[in-house]
Amino acid sequence: MTSAAARGLVSCSECALVSRPAAANAPGYCPRCGQKLEFRRENAIERTWALLVAATVLYVPANLLPVLATTTVVSSADDTIMSGVIYLFASGSWPLALIVFIASIVIPIGKIVALGYVLITVQRNAQANDRQRTRLYRIVEFIGRWSMLDVFVDTYIVALVQLSPLMSVEPGPGVPYFMAVVVLTMFAAMSFDSRLIWDRSGVNHGR
Amino acid sequence: MAADDDLPEAVAVPPRRARFSPIWIVPILAIVVAVGIAWDRLASEGPTITIIFKSADGIEAGKTFVKYKEVNIGQVTAVRLTDDTQNVEVTARIAKSASPLMVEDAHFWVVRPRISLSGISGLSTLISGNYIGFEAGTSAKKGRQYVGLEVPPIVTGNTPGRQFVLQSKDLGSLGIGSPLYYRRLPVGQVVAYDLAPDGSSVQIRVFVSAPYDKYVVRDTRFYNASGVDVSLTANGLDVRTQSLVALLEGGIAFETPPGYASSSQASSETVFPLFHDRVTAMKVDESIATRYVLYFQESVRGLSTGAPVNFYGVAVGEVTDVGLFFDPKTLNVKPRVEVVLYPERVVAQLPTGQGVRLQAMVEQQVTRRDFMQKLVEQRGLRAQLATGSLLTGQRFVSLAYFPKASKARLDWTQAPAELPTTISTLPEIEEKLGRIIDKLEKVPLDGIADDLRKALASLDETLREARSTIQRFDTDVTPSLKSALDEARGALGAAEKVLMSTETNLVGPGAPAQADLRNAMQELGRAARSLRVLADYLERHPEAIIRGKTAEPMPK
Repeated sequence: MTSAAARGLVSCSECALVSRPAAANAPGYCPRCGQKLEFRRENAIERTWALLVAATVLYVPANLLPVLATTTVVSSADDTIMSGVIYLFASGSWPLALIVFIASIVIPIGKIVALGYVLITVQRNAQANDRQRTRLYRIVEFIGRWSMLDVFVDTYIVALVQLSPLMSVEPGPGVPYFMAVVVLTMFAAMSFDSRLIWDRSGVNHGR
Repeated sequence: MAADDDLPEAVAVPPRRARFSPIWIVPILAIVVAVGIAWDRLASEGPTITIIFKSADGIEAGKTFVKYKEVNIGQVTAVRLTDDTQNVEVTARIAKSASPLMVEDAHFWVVRPRISLSGISGLSTLISGNYIGFEAGTSAKKGRQYVGLEVPPIVTGNTPGRQFVLQSKDLGSLGIGSPLYYRRLPVGQVVAYDLAPDGSSVQIRVFVSAPYDKYVVRDTRFYNASGVDVSLTANGLDVRTQSLVALLEGGIAFETPPGYASSSQASSETVFPLFHDRVTAMKVDESIATRYVLYFQESVRGLSTGAPVNFYGVAVGEVTDVGLFFDPKTLNVKPRVEVVLYPERVVAQLPTGQGVRLQAMVEQQVTRRDFMQKLVEQRGLRAQLATGSLLTGQRFVSLAYFPKASKARLDWTQAPAELPTTISTLPEIEEKLGRIIDKLEKVPLDGIADDLRKALASLDETLREARSTIQRFDTDVTPSLKSALDEARGALGAAEKVLMSTETNLVGPGAPAQADLRNAMQELGRAARSLRVLADYLERHPEAIIRGKTAEPMPK
């Protein structure tokens, strides 16, 4: 089975209606839903790469800078994401530690690695495992919003623990970077065109 | 034209689509931000230092700060045992701004609450937790490895004042922080002590804070002011203490002997000996000292080494040795006392003009000996034992003139020369008593008795005259006295009559005053009775005070 684009047809990214393009270089608009039609999203790989690189770069300060600054009468402590996880684990609440660890460390890294893998394979015209790769991409897209959990917990605690001057919790400088990482990976996932995965594959997906 | 056709055709290169997409601004921005953060972090990163402590008591990674002048300059990042597991290695990150302070001779110590006799410190750490105190050094070399102090340094580097080194046989009860007194005013502290490299003495480092450090001059004496110094000498019981703190904790005092106060200030790090007590410390080193030996003819019990030699009450020397002397010729053993005299002490007591002249004489051995010889041979200067205190029996040597003493010579060929002695004052009393008896013997007792007899005879006569006078009194005065008594009796009778009439008027049974009085008494009796009735009623009905009497008939 060949793709629609290979037959000179264009599919709507919104309502999936397959139509004949108005012109070869300007496919026009979907006759059903009015969405601008594209054979393939323009510069999808390049855009995704750019956003992915930005996310990767910002992931470093997001993890090194503290996200939570706790000030009590006797001490002040800055917690990074990882030190928070370690603290939670050490204080016995390992389920919580696991949740934070997965949401804040595993998922962002997983997303970056998964997107990078998909991009590289697409660029290399890899033809194997395109089904798996598509599933991987779907998971990345789905899971993106959940990795804001850490920021969510942060805002929660900051709002709750304001017992100044006895104790106060403030968001650390790492929070905006972490948010940027999450947002950028989401954008990167969106800017990718999943149709590229199977474009070069000669495998018949019909089955 | 054909020529034109031969020319090669230019290669038309289609304009390449710009490879740069604006989306790449995003990762470039991200890199710029990340690099910026990294740069900022690295720039603000101060040095990381390690401090070795004996124990990490109260030190926690991430919670303990390093403070200098109560300002956070760093934070402990790690606490771990040293490789030999004997000590604790504390790693601390120091703020960039404080990195110039991290020099070789900087000091670190743990500030924790300390309560000692000399004060309470570090109370704030009860709330804030322990922290690491810091004291900047003066070295220019950077340091990263330090050994922490177990006790905070007493004196911080920028306290004005000076340090001196005291040399002592032992440390006594001194310790770091022991106070230093000047005129009983705490002016400094012991900051360190250490054994001298050869182990023969202890070097005690003291800090005298400004402005008191200017009182430490080259001739200043430092002495141990620890505890109570009780000494029983010929001068009596001498008790000296500094403050109560010094009494309990030990301390050092310094003082400059009079006469040296104007000498130049001691420079920092000057080494002074630390004397055991004030007396030894304040002894002026006399450059001129003459030794003499004294042979007494009596017991020297109560005389001890160090006892003063007084000249008209002024201490001019001291006893250096008390012993015996055996004379092989006479087989006689007699007490031998060696003394040392400081002629300058006599000079010091003189008025200025005279003092200078005598000083000149005393400084030359020849003139000095000549002078002493004159005193002994012409004026009769003798040494004798004297009792300082009858209570304790302490004795001292007294020098005085005895013009009547038998002639003596001062023999300078012997060393030390023998200073002639005389018997002490106590045996002399006997001599005086003898002289009194001699005088008594010369009294003309016979004549006195004669006079006495005459006096008695005249007394006898006087008595006889007195008796005749009394007899005359009996015959002349007594009759008239009798008539005077009769008259007096008459007067008394008249008085009695007057009294009788008064009685009938005032106090007789029918007298008006009497009747009035009786009535009054009866009235009073009635009043008393009714009062008793009222009291009885109130006792039974106390409420009547408030409510008034009820209608209830009064019980009989």
